[in-house]
Amino acid sequence: MENVSKSYKNGVNALKNISLSIDEGEFVYIIGPTGSGKSTLIKLLDGEEIPDEGTVEVAGCNVGRLKHKQVPIYRRNLGIVFQDYRLLPSLTVFENIAFAMECIGEDRMTIRKRVREVLELVSLEDKAKSFPRELSGGQQQRVTIGRAIANHPKVLIADEPTGNLDPEMSKEIMELLEKINEKEKTTIVMVTHDSTIVNNLKKRTIALEEVYIVADIKKGGYLKND
Amino acid sequence: MIKFFRSIPNHVKTAFQSLIRHGAMTFSSVSAVMITLTLLMVFILIAGNISNFTVSIEKSLRIHSTIDGSLNEEGIEELQRRVENLDHVVKVTFSSKDEELENYMSSMDEASKKLYETYEGDGNPLLNAFQIEVDAGENMEVVYQKLQNIEGIQDSDYGGDTANLIVKTMDGLRIGGGIFVAALGVLAVFLISNTIKSAIYSRKSEISIMRNVGATNGYIKFPFMIEGMFIGILGAILPILITCFGYRYLYETMNGIFLIPMFQLQTVEPFIWYVSLILLGTGMIVGVMGSFFAVNKYLKWKR
Repeated sequence: MENVSKSYKNGVNALKNISLSIDEGEFVYIIGPTGSGKSTLIKLLDGEEIPDEGTVEVAGCNVGRLKHKQVPIYRRNLGIVFQDYRLLPSLTVFENIAFAMECIGEDRMTIRKRVREVLELVSLEDKAKSFPRELSGGQQQRVTIGRAIANHPKVLIADEPTGNLDPEMSKEIMELLEKINEKEKTTIVMVTHDSTIVNNLKKRTIALEEVYIVADIKKGGYLKND
Repeated sequence: MIKFFRSIPNHVKTAFQSLIRHGAMTFSSVSAVMITLTLLMVFILIAGNISNFTVSIEKSLRIHSTIDGSLNEEGIEELQRRVENLDHVVKVTFSSKDEELENYMSSMDEASKKLYETYEGDGNPLLNAFQIEVDAGENMEVVYQKLQNIEGIQDSDYGGDTANLIVKTMDGLRIGGGIFVAALGVLAVFLISNTIKSAIYSRKSEISIMRNVGATNGYIKFPFMIEGMFIGILGAILPILITCFGYRYLYETMNGIFLIPMFQLQTVEPFIWYVSLILLGTGMIVGVMGSFFAVNKYLKWKR
């Protein structure tokens, strides 16, 4: 990310002159109070928003320049985990994960094998035939993570994955994310405002405040607000 | 491209799945399509029959030409050939003067008939005549003018202004009916595509999720379009059944005519198939198009 600025039509400046580089295989937290531009950062990364200035480059692809119909194809490089899960309500857990793979035209056998693998990784083997509405928040979030990693993405973007969960479930999710980071060598960018997580599992931490980057701490730990 | 064809069965499966899993939505869309198509069906049946009536009314209009009494049989035959060779003439029927008299008398009451019976045989003052059928009402006058110039034809009569008026009215009815059905068709298209659009509206977040996990626009659209097609087909089933059984029943109870013999109903067999085909086609095409436009709209909702 280089010199990226973004403001919205309603006059809100979301990010100003941000430069940031994340290496392959890294695990990065992005922290900051509400309105500091965390979500905008994510939206710029996954191509939902276009930067006003500067360029966003992910896996060798200039994200801001993509056409509407190219965006989904670019997103195959990423796995995205949302705070509100965004599972397809009319599909079962198995189908939700399989859907991401069907989209890119994988054949049936590969899909079945990989979905089982993923379900095992997120420990939801017994829920394969359930619909999202029948699952708890933590379980739904694990499905989302499973869907995100099904296609072996280069980058996993997680937007407050623990936002709606209690501490115990959050811990589970974090362990899962770390496992994925180690096992699949996936770059993980995680947005959060949960200080306990950041302090317990120390990773590189980027702090945003008032549209600027205020700290980039390689060894991790939550920044005390002063 | 190979990937596209390989994914077709998958898309069809997805379409069926969401038809079932969004059961309430499917039901409401199908009923809307059904009602609209039933309406369309009723008007197609009416318009189709009215145009048939007008044709049969026009056909019943004939030119009546009397033949010069001095012509012998050979002369009459040659004259008939000449008239038959005229443009727009479909059929020429010879009617001898005896037949003419009988025809004339058939519309009289008993007392007058008795009076005229004395003319039967050699005393018949009428002339031999041709009944000339013309291909279309509007060509009546042209043929009439030509007949006037043919030697051997004493006099011709085709009802003049009255016939012209009937022809004009019939043309007006046909065109008006056509426009009406066309307008109703457009309305049906609009109604059906709107219903499908509002049904898909409830799934716009679903569409954006699909984009989030890397489904291309085409990949998202395809199952929706198949879904729309099936909604169209399902909605067309009932109107088609009503056409097939209802129209046959109607035709048989009315003996193929509407009130008076001049109003011939369309014969059942090819007619119901045409109507069914129109209904099925309208349902399918409109379903696909409605889905296509709706999904397109909601695809642009988020990047």
